[in-house]
Amino acid sequence: MDIWATIPQLLTSGITFGAIYALVGLGFVTIARASQIINFAQGEFVMLGGMITFFLLNKIHLPYPLAALLAILIVVLIGFLLHLLVIYPLRKASLPILLMATLGASLFLSSASALFFGTLPKALPPFSARAPFEIGNISISPQSLWVLVAAFLTLFSLYLLSHRLLLGKAMEASSTDPLGADLTGISRNLMIFLAFGVSAGIGSVAGIFITPIFYVSYYSGTLIGLKGFIAAVLGGWGKHSGAILGGFALGVVESLSVAFIPSGYKDGVAFAILLLILYFRPKGILGSPFIDSRRW
Amino acid sequence: MVDQVHKEFRKRDLLYSGALWLLSLILPDPQLHYRREYQFRKRDLIYFLTIIALPMIWSDPHFHHIMVLAGIHAILALGLTLFLGYAGQISLGQAAFFGIGAYTMAILTTRCGVPSLPAFWASGLTASFFAYLIGRPILKLKGYFLALATLGFGEIFLVMVRESPGLTGGVIGIFDIPYFSLAGFIFDTYLKQYYLIWGILMGLALFSKNLIRSKMGRAFLAVASSEDGASAVGIDVSRIKLSVFVIGAAFAGLAGSLFASVMSTANPETFSLNLSVLIVMMVILGGMGNLYGPIAGAIFLTWLINGLSRYQEYSLPIYGVILILLLVFFPDGIGTRLRVRLIYLISYSGRKRRREKVEL
Repeated sequence: MDIWATIPQLLTSGITFGAIYALVGLGFVTIARASQIINFAQGEFVMLGGMITFFLLNKIHLPYPLAALLAILIVVLIGFLLHLLVIYPLRKASLPILLMATLGASLFLSSASALFFGTLPKALPPFSARAPFEIGNISISPQSLWVLVAAFLTLFSLYLLSHRLLLGKAMEASSTDPLGADLTGISRNLMIFLAFGVSAGIGSVAGIFITPIFYVSYYSGTLIGLKGFIAAVLGGWGKHSGAILGGFALGVVESLSVAFIPSGYKDGVAFAILLLILYFRPKGILGSPFIDSRRW
Repeated sequence: MVDQVHKEFRKRDLLYSGALWLLSLILPDPQLHYRREYQFRKRDLIYFLTIIALPMIWSDPHFHHIMVLAGIHAILALGLTLFLGYAGQISLGQAAFFGIGAYTMAILTTRCGVPSLPAFWASGLTASFFAYLIGRPILKLKGYFLALATLGFGEIFLVMVRESPGLTGGVIGIFDIPYFSLAGFIFDTYLKQYYLIWGILMGLALFSKNLIRSKMGRAFLAVASSEDGASAVGIDVSRIKLSVFVIGAAFAGLAGSLFASVMSTANPETFSLNLSVLIVMMVILGGMGNLYGPIAGAIFLTWLINGLSRYQEYSLPIYGVILILLLVFFPDGIGTRLRVRLIYLISYSGRKRRREKVEL
């Protein structure tokens, strides 16, 4: 069968996609663990990470590592600004208003980046310039391995942040028990502020790692952000491990679907999975610590 | 709505007191639905006469065209305000129902040769049928997850439209949809379309007003304030949510069919997430739980987008900034906030005297 021969190759590309979705999903989870807000501008952080690195590398001619580092810093700054200018003034607003505000911020960031960086799609050079190596008849590009490494390093550092550092504990406390956090002297606004910075950082790392594989253009952030969010819901909303598992599951299913249905439907598959998981098991595969709270 | 009000008099109130007084003549009462009976008021007459007279006073085809678009947006916002403003649920999928209505109209009139009026009703029915199918499973969700599920439905709709070129014309869409015609009378100029759309809008607004005052409308408000409380007093919460979702989708479908017949084209670019966001913005800026507000919000945002379009590539960033600023400064609607300030302004002097008396 022709279809079955392509399955291993599709599987490897699915795992690469999965690592990307997992990285983006981790950004959503970081904010949700600190404030129970969904930041729809998360995908724009990914887009901006790639765009700014491209700009620094090709227009200002900085060396690659320096450009990447500077891009991460700039995106973290944008994340802080997003919190200060949009989320903080609306901290007492109701859910639809917060939702619309982050969607408005996403619209602003994507269209502003089209203005600054142009509307043409851009690609970064791969990190290690080597030809894709072959195992059997599957070809794996080295950049996919870089993405996998990035996903697991991010997971590990988030694990350290939330399980080994007092700061991470304070972030989670401000979401799970706001009154208790206030009583113990945690500044909740500061925690949400920091969570936005961390999440923007994760997003920009994801953007820098994936831009060598996929072209990034000003409108690509929205879709990748939504898929990262679907990954986080699929694995278990609010869990780091859930975002990773959901990301890989979503990536693999989406890639394999190409073998069986026309490839134009590929974007619909993720949303169909979203509807199914929300209907049959809203807390996701691994279960969710937040699902009974007031916002969802 | 009134509990988020600043209780102090601020100097900036003096700045906009004149504008507030003018607005008080036309703005609807935010607490309208608490009154037992609705009388025909003077301001209803003002609205009606304004709608009739406006295109004659300002007889400019461009103005008529923008007001036609504003009317279509207002029908969409009216449908969503029942769902979002009254029943307190959020939907980011209205654009999909709008698209379903537009494609039903397009396919029925161009391929099957059905007259406009049956196609118009059919598009409302199709949209509500899909709303029933999709609403049964997803309306048990709340808050962010409901928003995400409806957004997912919208995206699936777009993918389906793009991938079935045989039925919907794919990415290119359907062209040459005939103008709306009624018993041989063809609505072919912008002026005629203006009266068609605002007439339908007035009918739908009357329908919504009666709906809000019915038993079911009161149930929407009960569901919005507390689902547990509503089910405790014997309201079938899931049925109420489903019916308001279906009604909102039917409004969106009717608006979609009008859009298809006015624009003569239907293509998937129109029905993207941006349109859903725009509709939700209209309802939020118009004020939750208020029927005229979203209509005013629709007119305001349509004119805003039209005004911004001259800045070309700068228009989208400016639009995003304006949306965020409006949300930050008027989180409970422009009209609601201004009216509450007005009420405070009028009662200020009296209250100050009373306060001093108590302190003595």
